[in-house]
Amino acid sequence: MTETVLETNGLTKRFGELTAVDHVDLEVEKGEFRSVIGPNGAGKTTTFNLITGALIPSEGTVRFNGTDITNMPPHERVHHGVGRSFQITNVFGGLTVRENVRLAAQSMYSDEISRREAMFRDKDSFDELTDRTTEILDKIGLRDRADVHADTLAYGDQRRLEIGLVLATDPELVMLDEPTAGMSSEETHETMTLISDVLSDQSLMLIEHDIDLVMRVSDRVTVLTRGQELASGTPEDIATNEDVRDAYLGGARDE
Amino acid sequence: MTFVADLTEQLINGVTLGMVYVLLAAGLSIIFGVMDVINFSHGELFALGAYFALSISGALGVGVGFWTALVVAPLLVGIVGVAIERFTIRPLYGRNPLYHILLTFGLVLIINDLIKLVWGTQQRNLGVPGYLSQPVGVAGIQVSLYNYFMIVFAGALALGIYLFLERTKYGMIVRAGSQDRQMVRNVGIDIDKYYTLVFGLGAALAAVGGIVLGGYQSISTGMGNSVIIPAFIIVVLGGLGSFRGAVFGGLLVGIIRTITRTYGGTEFGEVAGITLSLPDLEGLTIFLLMIAVLLVKPQGLFGNPEFQDEGGEEGDLLTGADGGVFTDSVRMKLGAAAVGLLAIAPFAILLTGNDYYIILLNRVLIMAIFALSLDIVMGYTGLVPLGHTMFYGVGAYVAALVMIHYTSSFIIALFGAIVICALIAWIVGSLSIRVSGVYFAMITLAFAELFYNAVFKFQFTGGSDGLLGWDTFFGIAGIGAELNGINLLIAGFEITPNIVFYYTALILAVASLLFARRFMNAPFGSVLQSISEAEERAEFIGYDVTKYKRRAFVISGGMAGMAGGLLAVKPSTFIISPDQTLAWIHSGEVIVMTLLGGMGTLFGPMIGAGVFIGAEDILSSYTEQWRLVIGTIFVLFVLFVPRGLVSIPSLLVQRRQSAESDSPSVGFDESEVNTHD
Repeated sequence: MTETVLETNGLTKRFGELTAVDHVDLEVEKGEFRSVIGPNGAGKTTTFNLITGALIPSEGTVRFNGTDITNMPPHERVHHGVGRSFQITNVFGGLTVRENVRLAAQSMYSDEISRREAMFRDKDSFDELTDRTTEILDKIGLRDRADVHADTLAYGDQRRLEIGLVLATDPELVMLDEPTAGMSSEETHETMTLISDVLSDQSLMLIEHDIDLVMRVSDRVTVLTRGQELASGTPEDIATNEDVRDAYLGGARDE
Repeated sequence: MTFVADLTEQLINGVTLGMVYVLLAAGLSIIFGVMDVINFSHGELFALGAYFALSISGALGVGVGFWTALVVAPLLVGIVGVAIERFTIRPLYGRNPLYHILLTFGLVLIINDLIKLVWGTQQRNLGVPGYLSQPVGVAGIQVSLYNYFMIVFAGALALGIYLFLERTKYGMIVRAGSQDRQMVRNVGIDIDKYYTLVFGLGAALAAVGGIVLGGYQSISTGMGNSVIIPAFIIVVLGGLGSFRGAVFGGLLVGIIRTITRTYGGTEFGEVAGITLSLPDLEGLTIFLLMIAVLLVKPQGLFGNPEFQDEGGEEGDLLTGADGGVFTDSVRMKLGAAAVGLLAIAPFAILLTGNDYYIILLNRVLIMAIFALSLDIVMGYTGLVPLGHTMFYGVGAYVAALVMIHYTSSFIIALFGAIVICALIAWIVGSLSIRVSGVYFAMITLAFAELFYNAVFKFQFTGGSDGLLGWDTFFGIAGIGAELNGINLLIAGFEITPNIVFYYTALILAVASLLFARRFMNAPFGSVLQSISEAEERAEFIGYDVTKYKRRAFVISGGMAGMAGGLLAVKPSTFIISPDQTLAWIHSGEVIVMTLLGGMGTLFGPMIGAGVFIGAEDILSSYTEQWRLVIGTIFVLFVLFVPRGLVSIPSLLVQRRQSAESDSPSVGFDESEVNTHD
């Protein structure tokens, strides 16, 4: 018996005349690794933004674990369990690695901090937070680099930290926006290994245009073209799907 | 004269004034749209045009001189504009737009003082050819021909600019640049060259406005200052970067100002026993209008709604927070030493037998608290309140009013100032923070101007005279003493009211700093720092960024209110007037202090306040033109030491290291920018 984590219904986003996402229905099951692929301009990133809350849909709904999150601001979605990583590594560069992770952990812990404590208690004196921070640092393998500023980390380590920030918010579903963009095949391999190690308990939704990568890692794949869902299925189904082949070989693919 | 004829006449006057605003706002708006530069010095370029015209027309005589000036003076101001862009603004591209505001604020001080230096401070009249100043009667409406000339001339010019933007290749590139600069570069156009053109053109337009208004009214050194805020309001009202918005907004504001000035407070008659009258709101209306428009349509009437999402080229604010050469413990010791020195300072000063320096230090302490309050928002949330002096001013007024009407206890007066200002900050913050940085800056400015104009209007605030005549009780509920009655002799030292206040202010300043440090190291402050590092990321790890910013703004507002309250309590203060507390120049000054010291460090701005007031005091004893010197120093700071005084030790170390290593000398300024892109 499977459980649906994320469900979109008739999800639509228009920018003026352009309909970027056109009545997309998605269902992501618990523990699933779902990828969304499509040629440029297919509406992948818009779909991503509608689910994470960076954009509000023109029509349709987004439900997460049965809760309607369609109009929720991003920070509230995070508290419901929707985490996201950024395509361009987006960490707090001027702060230490430890502080980066601690901040993400603190966000999940904020209900237990009283207003007084939030203003007057030293941020490093919360034992539970410190423990959680250390735990995450161990998981992403950056404990020995915890006291350096994040912007001095090598690119690969920044990606690790990036994943660590998502993990620290304790998400049920992690949205990944082209996490390997601009990487060599070796780096891509490392990053995907990291993701499958660190985020093994989470449902994942990957936005990607690298078909080969998607076929290797996904449980299920959704193909978008011109804002609409073209096909969904296992990688094998997709690989043999005529429509998908046409869409990709029809000159739309931009590589 | 009939009411209709009178109204028509006023409408013509309104359109006349409106055309001047159109010329000003069009330049400001295009400059902002294309270059993201908020040009505070626009008003001074406007004045400079009028003064150049004055000299030209003085040399050539009224007839020929006026027409020559109308052509030559704008060209000269255009050249000044080109030079300003080339040598001061250009090095700042890629940095946060705040630095343009700061830079152009410095330019205001410089240009204004240069004008005073060259032309003197007396009000002057620009001679207009006699045939232009003839009154013309059309259908019973008597208006000077000059009005029609202004409307036609400025209108033709505005139309010309519009056609230039819409129909020519250059105009198209300029418009494309205001949509997406990077894209214009990508197609192989050197957009930077156009920046110079745009800035020069904007400056020339402002100069034309200054000349035609100079012929209509008169020329004074304050003319730039008096138009710049309305011009900003127009730009924001019409939509930043929108030419049509500038035209519409300019005419609207011109008409509204004229009408409210003429008819404000007049009674129209009675209907069913109720007297109908227009409220006397001259000066307030346009700010209320702007606030109303921004609440309904944040992008302005003709603005591009996608505009707020842009900001891709924005650089970070450069705080002095990291990269210091001193360790925390050294810094703590230096701080403790500074406080220790300040604690014994009065005794050293008393040995000289002169209270003057105590009074000066009292001002420093008040401004230090004010600058600290600004740093909490500017240095830690990245929001730039251009109207922060509203809290300082309202705090001063509230404290004075409490002491006049309710109780003379300074504790209650300060408490009242803090509470009211925190409340105002909450309201202003709720209305503006969610929108975007530039709008926050503008809305805070509008509110500050609203308060400034409001205190002129109301009886209980004493109008333009301000408030005076209160006693300060140093204590609460009858326990304590009249502040001005204190005169003790301790160990041979005479303890004056000024000294009692000094220690009170010192304690409050140190307490404010410790409080700010405390919460910056607590969970709340750590979130603020994450927001200033990467706002979007902070949102996506689950923080309600808007709420955190608003809270920081409330704390800041309360603290600034306390600084204002202290001004009222200070024994050497006898009067609280609008110009002394609420004029926009004070918002600029406190930003200068904060940046001068080093924002994002909390203690830096406090040092900046001391240096600013110290420099002002020393310079003003040598020269009338101290603002010129301060402005120049400030501009140099923005260009070369953007992290402020507190970064100088580490800059020196960096210099030495780069001198030792054989690397080619890269301007530190540039490398700073690169590492923070």
